Amino acid sequence: MDTLARIKDLAIKELALDPAKMDSNAPLADLGIDSLTFIEFMFKIEDEFGVKVSDEDLRGIKCLADLERHVAASLQAAGKA
Amino acid sequence: MRRVAVTGIGVVSALGNNLEEFRGALAAGRTAIRRLPEDVTRGSGVQVGALIDWDPAAHFKGNEAGSLDRVAQFALAAAGQALAASGLDLEKADRNRVGVYWGTGMGGANTLETAYSTVYGKNDFRLRPLTVVMAMNNAAGSNVAVKWGLRGPFANFSTACSSSAMAIGEAAQAIRGGRADAVIAGGAEALLTPGMLAGWQALRTLAPADATDPAASCKPFDKRRGGLVLGEGAAALVLEEESIARARGAPILAIITGYGNSCDAVHMSKPDRDGQVRAMTQALAESGLAPADIGYINAHGTATIVGDVVECEAIRAVFGDAAGRIPVSSTKSMHGHLLGGAGALEMAAALMPFDEGLLPPTANLAEIDPACAVRHVPQKAERGAIPRAVMSNSFAFGGSNIVLIAQKA
Repeated sequence: MDTLARIKDLAIKELALDPAKMDSNAPLADLGIDSLTFIEFMFKIEDEFGVKVSDEDLRGIKCLADLERHVAASLQAAGKA
Repeated sequence: MRRVAVTGIGVVSALGNNLEEFRGALAAGRTAIRRLPEDVTRGSGVQVGALIDWDPAAHFKGNEAGSLDRVAQFALAAAGQALAASGLDLEKADRNRVGVYWGTGMGGANTLETAYSTVYGKNDFRLRPLTVVMAMNNAAGSNVAVKWGLRGPFANFSTACSSSAMAIGEAAQAIRGGRADAVIAGGAEALLTPGMLAGWQALRTLAPADATDPAASCKPFDKRRGGLVLGEGAAALVLEEESIARARGAPILAIITGYGNSCDAVHMSKPDRDGQVRAMTQALAESGLAPADIGYINAHGTATIVGDVVECEAIRAVFGDAAGRIPVSSTKSMHGHLLGGAGALEMAAALMPFDEGLLPPTANLAEIDPACAVRHVPQKAERGAIPRAVMSNSFAFGGSNIVLIAQKA
């Protein structure tokens, strides 16, 4: 499964998102994810992928596609991808 | 005069996660106390407890449970049951007149302990963003208010073992005084964590596991008693102004008529007979009842060496000759000590005789301590006449004494 699909799967499971409405480029707020919920979600992402998402990284992530790019880059840097 | 009716009861306990299962277990004299698993007790030395097999997914959708400490999960489950049983239609009710009065001793203990173990154990200072709002003492009650949009008065009581009894007593006052027409009142506790257990173990008030049967480790009023056994869970009562409840055809399970509240003001942990006497006397006076009108006492009865004797002395002092006739039991022998949740859960037990006259027993009471001479209900439930009134005692560390009296509707 690719990184984006894994992120989406996790979001559906952890955030109870509707799979039909999951637009990777939509602002997180439009998906019903508030800032605190998203930070909680980052802990799951870190566990799932074994990567770190710093507070600074977090500020640049506005949608799930941003998140996918960040995770993919982190994995590549760590030689896991 | 405004009177306060109990119209619904919800229970989350190791004896069962609804009122029917809970009372079924009490009627059978079954205990839920068992050896604690290694991941719960760790190096604390605590051997037994009344731990709930709790599956959050069975009670919460999606990620809802992830933002709730275990104590708030218990609270929401109990409150939901109580509301459903009451039949209170919140779409029709004026929710500015419906409140939440809650009690808990340690609040979000699991969240707090996880946070501390992350910081001190792993030297990792990045904590979950909801740590504060999950751990804070008022989170359980506040989640109940948010879930059902209850915008009336809110209060959270934290007086150790009397917290939820105080919540019920104060909620009844709020309804009587006209501040609210209905209140979800109760309490919850979930502190079976290694750190909390270590703290309790250090107090040296916990019973060791019974050598032959761990389920029989808590023995209130028995010569062989060795201390209290911790439990966890929640109970909620829907309290309503009686005439409004009757007008909507609500089930009237009981009327809360007496609330005694006193402080020993002598010692943090040693109970005081006179303080308990003052609370019981006050509750009787507020009810307008004579001692002999009480048909069942759900005792605080923690099974500590000192506490049981003092409570029985206090009961004899208040009830005089009638003390020899009024059945007394401690259901903590079966569901463990819920601390902040104890008063509410034990009200759910105390009201049981109003149904069919069935008196819940003190499990494991085989050798009655002569220093605890009252009229006991040892080991097996007894069926008698439906009492006119019942009393529930909750006496806490810090010296807080709460006594509630309910009368048959």
